[in-house]
Amino acid sequence: MAASVLERLSALGAAAQATVPGVYAWGVTVAPAAWAHGSSTVAKVASILALLALAGGVVGEKRWGGTARVASLWGFVLACALAWSATPAAFAPLRIDAPRGIAGMIGWGLFALASAAPALQGRREEERITDEQPLRPRKGLARGDALYLAFGALAAGLLQLFGWHVAMPERALLVRFVGLAAGLGIIGAATEIALARHRKRVARPTMRRLRRAMYLLVALGLLGMTGLLFAFRA
Amino acid sequence: MQFADFLALGLVLLAAVSFYMGESALSGAEDLHALYWLVVGVVALRAAVQVARPAEKA
Repeated sequence: MAASVLERLSALGAAAQATVPGVYAWGVTVAPAAWAHGSSTVAKVASILALLALAGGVVGEKRWGGTARVASLWGFVLACALAWSATPAAFAPLRIDAPRGIAGMIGWGLFALASAAPALQGRREEERITDEQPLRPRKGLARGDALYLAFGALAAGLLQLFGWHVAMPERALLVRFVGLAAGLGIIGAATEIALARHRKRVARPTMRRLRRAMYLLVALGLLGMTGLLFAFRA
Repeated sequence: MQFADFLALGLVLLAAVSFYMGESALSGAEDLHALYWLVVGVVALRAAVQVARPAEKA
């Protein structure tokens, strides 16, 4: 039976699999700019070199493996960048339409994914499925842990309510970014605290635990006093 | 649960409140207030994790 397209493609290697989205991205974003009316010779030559770099990666991968793939990737990207640099007028706002811009973004995104991801594998052996008792989990979620995680998730979720009505886009992005980072920190801390409950503890550890965190508690106290001082002064 | 566990939970709550205050200040372009509240939040969160960790055996 003739091998399917996917099997034939997966037999070629990672560089060959990246050429398909690479040629698409080249065709949508580089070729129209480099071969537009009035474009320079440098742009035309660079666009051809970009295609040759892609083809060279497919041919060279069989002999030099990953080195050829990396050289092809960099050669293609740098040649495309050179073609764009040689035709700055092609990227004037009035000359780029939204559908072509979105198609270009998708093409380059797919090329990046195909270049970074491992090569697709061919057909694998069918895995044997045995009908047995369902596997028992090694550990279940201890009682109370879900409350800690729910609290962390709720606090993190509430933090995401800010930053959607800020007038300046840059400030809105900053607020969203800070909210995201703070939310992740709270979820991480809640998880750590939930897990710490199950670790072995020595007798009378309270003072020892507080001693370890003393410098942070002192810093927190100083910050609190500073805040109160400035609040009363204002 | 020990006193240190309640303290850890209280510190996480303090951190959450500080982050809300910080974000609110940041939305209102009060950068100095925002920085203060965010620093308080980070220190409180770090202290909560340190307090929650069990003491090691001597």
